[in-house]
Amino acid sequence: MDQTPETETPSNPEAPKKQDENTSGLIQKIQSLGQTNVPQMEGSSIHCLTIVGQIEGHMQLPPNNKATKYEHLIPQLVAIEQNPKIEGLLVILNTVGGDVEAGLAISEMIASLSKPSVSLVLGGGHSIGVPIAVSAHYSFIVPTATMTIHPVRLTGLVIGVPQTFEYLDKMQERVISFVTSHSEISEERFKELMFSKGNLTRDIGTNVIGTDAVKDGLINEVGGVGQALQKLNELIEKQNTKENNGLKQ
Amino acid sequence: MTWYTMMPYHLMFPEEGNDQTAQNVILYNNIPVLVERTGDETKIVQIMSTDPFHYLREDCQPGMTLRNL
Repeated sequence: MDQTPETETPSNPEAPKKQDENTSGLIQKIQSLGQTNVPQMEGSSIHCLTIVGQIEGHMQLPPNNKATKYEHLIPQLVAIEQNPKIEGLLVILNTVGGDVEAGLAISEMIASLSKPSVSLVLGGGHSIGVPIAVSAHYSFIVPTATMTIHPVRLTGLVIGVPQTFEYLDKMQERVISFVTSHSEISEERFKELMFSKGNLTRDIGTNVIGTDAVKDGLINEVGGVGQALQKLNELIEKQNTKENNGLKQ
Repeated sequence: MTWYTMMPYHLMFPEEGNDQTAQNVILYNNIPVLVERTGDETKIVQIMSTDPFHYLREDCQPGMTLRNL
């Protein structure tokens, strides 16, 4: 891709200072270890995917939006699936939602990974963040995080024909069926949360808080990063023993 | 194009014109980083890697200016 910046002459005033720091760092390394290359820690066997802000799909969002782009995430997921050194995936969510199809695409990718995955909802996992949160093999939510479940609606131009409603209804059905098939929540309960009145001030739907999400069966467990990694290691171990048993036969 | 989000439409798409700065993903020491080029400066915006150890490297942190490529 691009050439390494090391070979270039510095063009901004900050750079010479940085280079000085680099050389002194290098001397320090030689003095303390007798070598220039400090052995780097091996890459992590657990990779982490952070899904923040809006989930950007078919349309590029204006730069004032913090967005997670699905064209970045999907190759990363393919790489995680392919790389034999990577044993597990931790998905960290703090999202307000975004494009339905991009969100469903990411969810399907995570759900179909052959390697163990654990998701952790921090802050918020709203709207299309819900199917992504449940797509992992095991899901966690911190007690303070919330997930807003509301109907899919069109923003902007709405064509007042029955087909528009049918189209949205089908779109919504895809979200509902994904969530109900990848979590313990029943379709009736999920729809009840989605269409309930009086919980959100300007909308229908429900804001489900940490422990309630677990009670409803949407998320597996309340916990933080420690528990999530512990569970992931457990799942990796289980997967490894299963593979070893398979080899013996 | 269907959005399923908590964010109101007018916040996602503000009226005033946006001058989009060029952002692209480059490989810096084999780490995919999102960089922003303004004039003759290249600034790291975000590390795109999924390897958590890449985020601990001192030579590549968000906000750092790379010498011009």
